[in-house]
Amino acid sequence: MNLITCISLCVLLVSGATAQADRKYFNDKKAPDERKDLAAIQTAIQEALPQARAATVCVLLDEGSGSGVIVSPEGLILTAAHVSGGVGKKVTVVLEDGTELKAVTLGLVAETDAAMIQIIEKGSYPFIEIDRAETTRLGDWVFALGHSGGLDKERGSVVRLGRLVRIANSTFQSDCTLIGGDSGGPLFDMNGKLIGIHSRVGAQLQLNMHVPMSQFITNWDGMLAREFIGEGPFAEKPQKGSGFLGLATEPRKEGGLRVTKVGEKSPAQEAGILEGDVIFKLNETVLENREQMQALLKEMAKGDEITLETTRQGQPKNHTFNLGAR
Amino acid sequence: MRANFTILFILPLLYLPVAGQQSLDSAYRTTGIEVVAAFEAERQILQTSSAVILDGRKEAGYGVVISADGYILTKASEVTKVAKLSVTVDEKNYTDAKVLLVDTIWDVALVKIAAEGLVPVVYAATSAVPQGTWVMANGATTRKKRRLLAGIVSAKIREIPASGGAVLGVVLKTVKKLLEVQEVGEKSGAFEAGLQKGDVILKIEGKPIKKVEEIAELLKTRKEGSTVKVTYRRKKLENTVDVRLAARAELFDDQQNRNDQMSGDFSARRSGFPRVMQHDVLGSSQVVGGPLLELGGKCIGMNIARANRAENYSIPVEDLKEIAARMMKAAAE
Repeated sequence: MNLITCISLCVLLVSGATAQADRKYFNDKKAPDERKDLAAIQTAIQEALPQARAATVCVLLDEGSGSGVIVSPEGLILTAAHVSGGVGKKVTVVLEDGTELKAVTLGLVAETDAAMIQIIEKGSYPFIEIDRAETTRLGDWVFALGHSGGLDKERGSVVRLGRLVRIANSTFQSDCTLIGGDSGGPLFDMNGKLIGIHSRVGAQLQLNMHVPMSQFITNWDGMLAREFIGEGPFAEKPQKGSGFLGLATEPRKEGGLRVTKVGEKSPAQEAGILEGDVIFKLNETVLENREQMQALLKEMAKGDEITLETTRQGQPKNHTFNLGAR
Repeated sequence: MRANFTILFILPLLYLPVAGQQSLDSAYRTTGIEVVAAFEAERQILQTSSAVILDGRKEAGYGVVISADGYILTKASEVTKVAKLSVTVDEKNYTDAKVLLVDTIWDVALVKIAAEGLVPVVYAATSAVPQGTWVMANGATTRKKRRLLAGIVSAKIREIPASGGAVLGVVLKTVKKLLEVQEVGEKSGAFEAGLQKGDVILKIEGKPIKKVEEIAELLKTRKEGSTVKVTYRRKKLENTVDVRLAARAELFDDQQNRNDQMSGDFSARRSGFPRVMQHDVLGSSQVVGGPLLELGGKCIGMNIARANRAENYSIPVEDLKEIAARMMKAAAE
């Protein structure tokens, strides 16, 4: 935690000195005081909006929905850790035009609420640029996009305008009002560059928190490599051995493990496994005895995906499902 | 549906100052006085052409001044709750305010005060402006001075269907093959029409009804705020009444979801509008009912609901003009 904070702070301090050629002039005024300032803010947001909106996605999960934003033509998405919820989970993302795409969660930073998702369907996706130089300063005008309250195809994603009202070590605060469903969605500067990811709100309308890009840049390679970085509070680290399958087996002379019992309402039962089925492989590993199967399960956690290759009365049948909680 | 449950962390603690952080003075925030000062021309319009709807001394909402002789449009479901109605326009308070008509589809009421020489709003040419366009609306008020808040158009113009469907507002049970009323929602059209526990529903719109599913099917395409003819039997007597349809989710408070808790404050009626434009002007449900202005001060809509902390709805100017003309005509007849 300390290391991460320290690095990001250093980056912030260094980049603060960099002069930015494309910085909008109105950001350097304490407040707009002429008609042309208001017009310039409006023009900036309207010019940036089409691309920003095209890159903003809704992330559909079993237990709800969040938002995210595409940052590469190959479909790399930045989102919040409490949206992705874990590493290697299958999710569905929805583009502004309604296209649904399969995706998988990559790594996350549990302490600051940063995470990545990768679209796994091949394609060339609309994306936005990240403000890598971290040019944003206190008081800058910003805008937020996100699927407030969940996906609404008639409405589309919702845009809100505000200013950056607080900059802390690992958090931006803006007065763009956020609500459930916006989590993981993008905060942009007035050039349409990504500066933050929506994370959390307080009771007051002014309390809207975003994860700054520095938190993503610092942990970029680790997240790409599907690492679970840090401990809570935004994501719970999977505990090995916490996964629950819910069946009992006995070895067969002719190979494989015969299912002798399937627990009521267990993940195995819900996946359709029946007593008498014979399991040959677990996640592509050939099973020779019960101990081996138990050892494999011990390395897995709740929510992990499991594939069992079985036969039922000689007919091959594959079951893919998620482990429950022990 | 998935959309019912969405994700966002709520801060578990008060935000504590941390070393190394910078904070923007509240005067320079989006709702701050220094920022709002840039919209003084538009604030002047709110000063003369928006009305404050008062319940005694308490603000109950705002209104749109649509004629020099004292006709005002406001949010019906709020103004009809007011016990001691008066209206302030500019610096003057009018205690003779009367609700003349209500349009239940749009949730708009026409209010009349005995005034002359008021400055009605000037309608904007179109509501079809790009998202990101500045809009302004009433903020809080003092006795003499209107305040302004600014935001932007933030989503597509669209219909907001009745949340949970348009319903009569009764709980029914099949008793001896008859549909008997078990419970009447306090805020429902059924309650207003006088339906009671024990009444037996016989027909809706003249069509005999035997099952609850048949009612759902019949009401599926109906709008919130519209009425249906309900024929019922009470103690061997048959009667037919007009029942106003309401959004199911707005009749029963237990339907609050996590986002509602997060929002804190929202309009009691916030669904079932034929067409709305959406904006992000911050504020409370008490600032609904007034005009939505564009830069330059023309009226681009009328604020009709605060849906939640991030979403506000306005009636687009085209519809507002039509509603105003229709209600003024009806009031004259």
